[in-house]
Parts: sequence; C-alpha cells; structure tokens
Amino acid sequence: MDKPVYIRSRWFEDLPVGEFHVFGSYTFSEKEIVEFGRKYAPQIYHTDPEGARDTLYRGLIASGWHICAIWMRMMVDYMERFATGVQDGRRNGAGVGFQDLKWLKPVRPGHTLTFTYEIIKKDERVIRDRWGIIRSRNEAFNQYGELVFSFEIDILAERRPT
Amino acid sequence: MATTQTRYWQDLLPGECFETENITISRQDILDFAADFDPQPYHLNSEAAEESIFGGLCASGWHVTAVMMRLLTDTFTGQHIELLGSNGVSDLRWRKPVFAGDSLSARIKVVDHEAASADSPFGYINCDVEVDNQNGDQVIALTTSLMIGIEGGAANHG
Repeated sequence: MDKPVYIRSRWFEDLPVGEFHVFGSYTFSEKEIVEFGRKYAPQIYHTDPEGARDTLYRGLIASGWHICAIWMRMMVDYMERFATGVQDGRRNGAGVGFQDLKWLKPVRPGHTLTFTYEIIKKDERVIRDRWGIIRSRNEAFNQYGELVFSFEIDILAERRPT
Repeated sequence: MATTQTRYWQDLLPGECFETENITISRQDILDFAADFDPQPYHLNSEAAEESIFGGLCASGWHVTAVMMRLLTDTFTGQHIELLGSNGVSDLRWRKPVFAGDSLSARIKVVDHEAASADSPFGYINCDVEVDNQNGDQVIALTTSLMIGIEGGAANHG
C-alpha cells in the first residue's frame, strides 16, 4: 500500500490572526437531507418532504449536524487544494472543541451555503510538545446573503520543529 | 422510563435526566461517514491513523456528534417529547477518540428552562449532554439549547 499522504499546510507559527478565507460553496439536495435525517436525526421535518409541510418549518430542512458535516467536507477539500505542492508543512490536527454554535436560519433543498473562516486567536500553550491551538470564526451564508450558521472552533496546529 | 403520554416543555424542568440507549460504531460506519464528510487519513486509513495524534483509525468528530443526535432524538421520541429543533450549542469538547467497535450512550440533563415569545409553539430547554464509550470514558460533552413543543402549541398541526 502506498504511504498515506497527509494534507499539509503552514506551521502554527505561520498562521496569522486576521487571515480570512471563503473556502467553499455547497448546494443541499433533498435526497441528501433525507438520507442524513433518517440516519442521525429522524424527525419528520428532516425525513419526509410531504409531511414536513405540516410542521413548524413548513417544509423539509437539513439537520443542523448535516450543516456541520458539510462544513467539515468543504474545509477538507479546501485544505487539500490550498496545500497543493506543500511538502513539509504541518499535518492537520484534530479539533479540540467549539463554542457559540448557532443555527440561525433553516437550510432547505436547493439552498446553497457559502462558507468562510477567519483566524481570530492563537493559543500559545504548547500541547504534547508539538501542537498549538488555532481558533477560527466560521460562518455560512445562503444564496440570499443571510447568515445561517456560525461558530468558533479550536483546532490543533503543528508547531515548526525546533 | 417509557410513557405513552405526551410530555411538554412545561413538564421538563431543570434537574431532569435522560439516559439513552447505545449505538455501536463499526469500522464501515467510520469509513462511510469519513468518505462523505471528513476524508482525512486518520478517518480513512489505518496505517495513517496509527501515526496520527489519535493512535488508530477513529470516527470523525462530526460523526460522533451525529450519533449523539440520533441517541437524543430516539430518547425524546420514546418519551413522547416533541423536539422541534435546536438553535445552537454554546460549547462542545471532543475529549477522546471513538474507535471501531466502540459503543456510545448519552446522558442528557436539563439545566435551564426558558419560555420563547408569547405566541411560540415551543419553549427552550438548555441541556448538558455527555456521551460515554463502553468503558465509561467521556468522549464528548456539550451544552445545547433545544426547542420543545408546549402544551396547546400544536406546532405540527399548524
């Protein structure tokens, strides 16, 4: 088996607070909303396009955790593109946690979300000898320009070897 | 405790605690979720995962939150509680990786109870949710605000 290729990008030290990225857009389909809902959030407003009309939401909406999962996919795809050609940078680290996550507007079939992040804080503590923590504010806007989703996530970033 | 009677927002007071059933996460579950949503080496490839910070193939953190939602949804449905959504999560920590074969269950504790606007068909409850593996290790902990149908709200019947 080939040696696995890590997604590599800049070291912790090289990531500036204030850096802003528009990193992906995704259109949610009815089929995907229903599939995710059936597996992880079986409520009529996530699983049944007809039945959902008689609920509070007046139609099918994506599970909030589906929006989170798509955020992750957009981020991974972006990191892969952004990292093209980087040979010896840091490896992606794990998420530690997040705060202030808000689902502000329903996401319906056919809605397109555009995702952004801004680096807002670097935690200089050294974790397990080699990691720092990057905090980013993440937002998603729908095709009407409305903010529908936001949160701040803390992710481990590898420090430059000394 | 199973009940056949609808439980409304008015009935869910701070201090009430729910224990969910278990869901076991297989290797295939981990690979399938990662292929769709989080295609990073430590969620897709055992060899890469062994070199990573996790020490082995493990589930995406968002897979774990999705399974938490399934546990919570099934428990509330079983209790005849009308869960009308969530407007957010004030804090979540991923504390331990989840590996193939791990069995997860959650404890949901109501910590706050807040009315929405006067004509709203739901009220809010704030809940502390802890998800443990089969060894009793906490894998995630979060605080989330849930929208619960109120008595006389008829949210699903418009």
